[in-house]
Amino acid sequence: MKILVCLKQVPHQDARLDVRSDGSWIQEENIKFEINSYDTYALEEALRVKDATQAEVVVASIGPERVTQALRTALGMGADRAIHVKDPAVEGSDPLGIAKILAAIAKAENPDLIFTGFMSDDGNFASVPPMLAELVGMPSATAAVQVERKDGTLSVSREIEGGAQEVVELTAPCLIAVQTGINQVRYASLKGIMAAKKKPLDVKTVADLGLAGQVGAGAAKIKVEKIAPPPKGSGAEMLTGSTDQIVSGIVGKIKELGLL
Amino acid sequence: MGTILIVAEIQGGKIREASFELASIAQKLAAAGGHQVKSLVAGKGIAALAEEFAKKGGGDVYAADQEALGSYCVATASRAIRAAVDASGAELILLSNTPSGWDVAPRIAAALDAAFVSDCFKVDLEGGKLVCHRRVFNGKLDARVSVNSPRTVVTVQPGATAPFAGTTSGKVSPLAVELPAGARARFVGVKVAESKGVDLSKANIIVSGGRGVGAPEKFPEVIQPLADALGGAMGASRPVVDAGWLPHHYQVGSSGQVVQPKLYIAAGISGAIQHLVGMKTSNFIIAINKDPDAPIFEVANLGVVGDLFEIVPALTKAVLAAKG
Ligand SMILES: Cc1cc2nc3c(=O)[nH]c(=O)nc-3n(C[C@H](O)[C@H](O)[C@H](O)COP(=O)(O)OP(=O)(O)OC[C@H]3O[C@@H](n4cnc5c(N)ncnc54)[C@H](O)[C@@H]3O)c2cc1C
Ligand SMILES: Nc1ncnc2c1ncn2[C@@H]1O[C@H](COP(=O)(O)O)[C@@H](O)[C@H]1O
Repeated sequence: MKILVCLKQVPHQDARLDVRSDGSWIQEENIKFEINSYDTYALEEALRVKDATQAEVVVASIGPERVTQALRTALGMGADRAIHVKDPAVEGSDPLGIAKILAAIAKAENPDLIFTGFMSDDGNFASVPPMLAELVGMPSATAAVQVERKDGTLSVSREIEGGAQEVVELTAPCLIAVQTGINQVRYASLKGIMAAKKKPLDVKTVADLGLAGQVGAGAAKIKVEKIAPPPKGSGAEMLTGSTDQIVSGIVGKIKELGLL
Repeated sequence: MGTILIVAEIQGGKIREASFELASIAQKLAAAGGHQVKSLVAGKGIAALAEEFAKKGGGDVYAADQEALGSYCVATASRAIRAAVDASGAELILLSNTPSGWDVAPRIAAALDAAFVSDCFKVDLEGGKLVCHRRVFNGKLDARVSVNSPRTVVTVQPGATAPFAGTTSGKVSPLAVELPAGARARFVGVKVAESKGVDLSKANIIVSGGRGVGAPEKFPEVIQPLADALGGAMGASRPVVDAGWLPHHYQVGSSGQVVQPKLYIAAGISGAIQHLVGMKTSNFIIAINKDPDAPIFEVANLGVVGDLFEIVPALTKAVLAAKG
């Protein structure tokens, strides 16, 4: 069995979000990056199948040089092989472009299962996984909070509203987009990190995948033109001063509300 | 001019409020761009709902009334939507960003090689071109997104706009959806929420901690004492529960509990939409966050920019002192 895991590297959740002067995206120089939170759960889910079945786990990521680090981390956690699509021609791709690249990888790798994150923490698109599934003709399920495998059938519990779950059965090969909290994610052990240095990490270009001219800014059907902090409304009354002043302000308010 | 297709959604035997919100967006765009509005109402025994939607903003409705469409499944839903797209030739397809909408919409876009913009809170026409507004970085920034494609699929955040309040005089026509046997995705059932350990909805005061609390032991050390001092309950944001710091029954938000206490205190919570929908109707909200730009301050009544580890323990002391 082979499992493909799609990983995106995104700005660290605690990174400062400064908008570039042209407003096109955030300032990405000199900030820390990490594996998208949802994708760490996707990788863990794949590694658990590997632990149980000896499946091969292949991780794929599209992005610049810095992505090598995310892939090495994934290899350190236990993935067997990594594919890095590193090509300036990718820049400006919309989620459909990213899905087309991942689809080319999936067609070449022919996995039995694809695990992805539900959503990226930066773009918040939640678009790539079902698109990828459609492009490769696999059934898919999003916001998975539980996955049970019986031979070629996967029973997936999807998170729906109000704490309820919807159960859908998928026939493999299929794609599952994982919600956070589905499992407890392992850390890469020191031994794992050492072993990862010897694991294969293939670098590919868009042309290698037969997609020259089909992805990137030129082919994108949607474009983030400008980002900005949300407009401020009337907002909250802000308390300032020393901690004592702030605290007595809050206590005063709670008394006023008749709750103290 | 072209056609806008609304994919309506049925929940608990009714058309969802969010679908009427789509109608409001579609009718506004149609008025500006001269489009026709059509809708798909798919489900089982939906004749009356289709008639209702045709009158309340949906325009001409395709009614796909079939046993197999009675529950959402990606395989059947995408067939039904594709059939309505083919029948209408729609250039803009609107869905709500609900668990069904986000599951199927990207597949429709990929199948049509169409543009796709997810989870928009505003959809406009500017000079005849579609411009969408959506949040990025979990609500910390807004993005303006332009579209360059003859066909576009858009999902809209529920609650983004008021539901359509006017009337329309659409006709209902049946739509036959071919559902081949042997689908590779099958609906099995719905598991309802398990009985909760703590029913936060009954608490008068809730003190919630977020990822900013930083470590599991800080909840009993810092957050719970303030909740106790106020005679309230403790809550949490999702990452706290995902990390296993607290069990799920503490989670406030769209996938946790929806609460409306007299006082909600949020410490170390940024204010992502999925958290806000769970608490924003609280009577009074106090936010403590070290980031002055945190979106939580937009819904809070009282805000403090500062370190929760300084403010919260001091507040606990002051509350205990005030009680004597
Ligand atoms: C389908 C779906 C359903 C979801 N359901 C829910 C849900 O039910 N509930 C929910 O909460 N989320 C939900 N989420 C997740 C949501 O999108 C956010 O990721 C989450 O709410 C963020 O939690 P947070 O504010 O605690 O963390 P963050 O966004 O990381 O914010 C942490 C905050 O702590 C502040 N901080 C850090 N240190 C300190 C300090 N020392 N003092 C003061 N402030 C500090 C930071 O400035 C930051 O603002 C859902 C997401 C999806 C996609
Ligand atoms: N550049 C990328 N490289 C690899 N996987 C990606 C990339 N972008 C998105 N994905 C996958 O698609 C999921 C959803 O991302 P998005 O649709 O961008 O919100 C992520 O959690 C990843 O699993």
